[in-house]
Amino acid sequence: MQQDSPVSVLRRLPLLMGFIILFATVLFFRLWYLQVIKGAYYQELAESNRIRPIKIRPPRGVMYDRYGRPMVENVLTFDISIVPEDAPDIDATIAKLSPIVHLAPDAMHKIIDDAEPVRVKYEPVKILEEAPWEEIAMVETRQEDLPGVIVEPEHRRHYPYGGMAAHQFGYIGKVTQTQKKQEQADTGLLVGQSGLEKLHDKLLRGVAGRRMIQVNAAGMKVKDLGIEEPKPGTDLYLTLDLDVQRAAEEGLGDRAGSVVAMDPNSGEILAMVSHPVYDPNLFPRGISSRDWVKLSNDPSHPLYNRAVQSVYPPGSTFKIVTALAGLLSGEIDPNEKITCRGYLTSGKKAFRCWKKGGHGSISFHDALVQSCDVYFYTMGDRMGFDRVAQYARNLGFGSLTGIELYDEKKGNVPTAAWKKERNGEPWYPADNYMNSIGQGFMLVSPIQNCQLVSLVANGGIFYQPQIVKRTRNRETGEQRVFPPIKKRTYAIDPAALELVRNALIGVTTEAGGTAHGAATPLAVVAGKTGTAQVIAQKVAGQRLSESTQDHAWFIGYAPADNPGIAVAVLVEHGGHGGAAAAPVARKVIEEYLKHAGTKTAQ
Amino acid sequence: MLERRLLSNLPWGMVTLIAAIALLGIASVYSATYTPQGPSSLFTKQLIWVFLGVCVMIAALVPDYHTIGRYAYVLYAVSVAALVLVAIIGRTGMGAQRWLAIGPFAFQPSELAKLSLVLALARFYAEDPRSGNYGLRDLAIPAAMLVVPLILVMKQPDLGTALMLAFTATLITVLAGIRLQAVVAVVLIGVVVASAVFLVPPVRHAIWTKLKPYQQKRIKAFVDPASDPLGSGYHATQAKIAVGSGQTTGKGFRKGTQSQMAFLPERHTDFIFAVIAEEQGFLGSSLLIVLYVALLLMGVETAKNAKDKIGALMAGGITSMLSLYVFINIGMAAGILPVVGVPLPLVSYGGTSILTTFLAIGLLLNIRSRRFMLFY
Repeated sequence: MQQDSPVSVLRRLPLLMGFIILFATVLFFRLWYLQVIKGAYYQELAESNRIRPIKIRPPRGVMYDRYGRPMVENVLTFDISIVPEDAPDIDATIAKLSPIVHLAPDAMHKIIDDAEPVRVKYEPVKILEEAPWEEIAMVETRQEDLPGVIVEPEHRRHYPYGGMAAHQFGYIGKVTQTQKKQEQADTGLLVGQSGLEKLHDKLLRGVAGRRMIQVNAAGMKVKDLGIEEPKPGTDLYLTLDLDVQRAAEEGLGDRAGSVVAMDPNSGEILAMVSHPVYDPNLFPRGISSRDWVKLSNDPSHPLYNRAVQSVYPPGSTFKIVTALAGLLSGEIDPNEKITCRGYLTSGKKAFRCWKKGGHGSISFHDALVQSCDVYFYTMGDRMGFDRVAQYARNLGFGSLTGIELYDEKKGNVPTAAWKKERNGEPWYPADNYMNSIGQGFMLVSPIQNCQLVSLVANGGIFYQPQIVKRTRNRETGEQRVFPPIKKRTYAIDPAALELVRNALIGVTTEAGGTAHGAATPLAVVAGKTGTAQVIAQKVAGQRLSESTQDHAWFIGYAPADNPGIAVAVLVEHGGHGGAAAAPVARKVIEEYLKHAGTKTAQ
Repeated sequence: MLERRLLSNLPWGMVTLIAAIALLGIASVYSATYTPQGPSSLFTKQLIWVFLGVCVMIAALVPDYHTIGRYAYVLYAVSVAALVLVAIIGRTGMGAQRWLAIGPFAFQPSELAKLSLVLALARFYAEDPRSGNYGLRDLAIPAAMLVVPLILVMKQPDLGTALMLAFTATLITVLAGIRLQAVVAVVLIGVVVASAVFLVPPVRHAIWTKLKPYQQKRIKAFVDPASDPLGSGYHATQAKIAVGSGQTTGKGFRKGTQSQMAFLPERHTDFIFAVIAEEQGFLGSSLLIVLYVALLLMGVETAKNAKDKIGALMAGGITSMLSLYVFINIGMAAGILPVVGVPLPLVSYGGTSILTTFLAIGLLLNIRSRRFMLFY
């Protein structure tokens, strides 16, 4: 290797050395000046001239429906608070405030003492939140009498429609210990604890402002330095349509169950209902532990979002899958006729069709329209359910739809291997029968079933189900739009699709169709009913209590020739799908069609 | 054989200095991040980072520095690529896009860019047959090497790192032997551009509106801290109060009121010097400056005694870079330089900064240990 000498570098190194020594000397004298010469002055500043920042909570982002109507908002309320440092005689102040707020002096002392460990000086202690206006007026007019008492404006979270769509919105509450550690969030702030409030908390939360006051050595206020305004949270514009949501809520009424409505051309969720509901307005005020225990132990599980977190046997709605599997695999010839005598035997056991007298000789179209069980027992057994299961998976069952909500369940698509592993039993022909009509081990969520009809409507395009359409920063006007996402396409043979679509139209229009209750004069509805048995064997003659009644399903889309909405309705223990679920879907579809194309976003 | 000789040639004085500064840093981060519930998890993280940094330093000792010089351009290309990646997918921290997330770790490529620019320039000048006496026109390639990362860093936007890159490149070019006339020319051009910027209102306006609001605020606050005592001037004012109120002997470990009561922002990162000055007083802060000066002068001596030109340039370049870090950071805490985000080497909290500093110092030790060695 050549040994080049660093002569040129050597010549310049004194410059670097000079630079280091020069700068170090400058700093040395600067520190000497600050710390030794002016040290006492800065010491005094540090001791006596402190700035105390007091937090101001920012208003959370508002959630609007797709047309800009607020669904989750903030209301301005007023709290009566005490700043102990501003009260020369705290006992006197408390004594005078006591009759106004109807609180015993001892109780007020306790509130102030409890706040002490986490409070910074001059931070107000809330005595009465959301005070009625008479009390506020009393405090305001008697200001001189009540030194240290202030009225604090506060933006409080408000859900104007109560339980409507509550499971999607979620609720807010005090920051938990783990959240505090993870994101060093403020203790005083209310943050999202479930649903969209939690999922988009960082956006919705905003940035706290500060009121800066200068205090002296004794901690007394010297002067107000001003206010750094809080930055409000980012607003969310949802895909939900307030009118369609309301129609779905009202359609389901007091019954437990779920409704999901989606635009099959984009995956946008138009309505999502889960009943029973809770009132999210209970939470921002700090839910009482009694109410919390009641809610979380309620056997009807009001905190569950049934649309995505609960799975049910699909009942006869699954015949759409069995039908597509048969047509696509070539095992079903649409012209072939099967004879339904009202039952089909396997070994010694007879499996009944829902129609006792039987459907007689029946082909594909009528079998799907009239929901003939014997036809689908036969076809399911001919294919073997493992093959049907493959198509079910292709159509999205057994996996998550990916909607941006918490704890989505993926349900179950059974196979022979799955059953063997689960309880060691082999797969019987009877399993082919029962699972092919959706009564066995198949489990689906309402949103998966909505996705199924959406696929039939749009020809097999999987859109990412979407609930937030765009976000908007209130201060800068900056927007982020989330366009529809095509996740994948499952190419379904158009001929097979046509046969299924025609049969689904027949369900609501033809004689013998099971869902005339879903038909509307506004457009042709295509769909399928389902009645999922809760217990396999019913005891004849015994009156059924509600919890052993069947679950009622209806899934469908409209208008049949140009679908704009896909709906899944599930009524827990609702009885027959055609009677209990189809009319709910009709209400939702009618509400949608009434306004389709006429409403515009604000 | 090689290892033993390396060990015996290791400059133990310099190693002791490094250990002293690093220990002071660990103690300061402990104090600055202490919470009422006890030591913060940031402190534990800092311990892990320092440990990893020492490992990196030892690793940087093992290969001959010529081998590292051979990879200088590769390292440079990697760090430029990482900066491009940040521009595309980086995580936003504090209103600027600077971080790259690798699993749970956030990594700041602009820190690595500084060191890799030093190494790449050292190699370029060492191999350049002209060998010194550069005029302005000879510097097209090094200028290009500076401008690429500079633009990427300014895009983030990170003014502090951009300035660091420019200053470091300037210093190493001075070392490599730029003609003094050229230096004068650069300064003249700078003065003309600067006066154009400040004195011609339309130009000033055009540049001013290009700056991010937080940059505008910081510049305003530097010119007149009283203009905005709550916002950007707050940092500077509070730091100065912290430093000054430390007086001669300091308020004692974990007794700094400015630091412990959270008046001082960024106290464990960019303003850690203010914590040391407040709690250890003038004695402590000037001792730290003495330690740094000793370390930096050893760096200069390393360059002087290096066997060859690339060693001299690498050592000189690294020393220049570290000097800038130290002086800009302390100058900022002492209120004689504007607030720009530059960490204090070996002391400030922050993984990427610690790792690159230890890497740079490992290279210095490497060059110093091999000054007596023959080439095989």
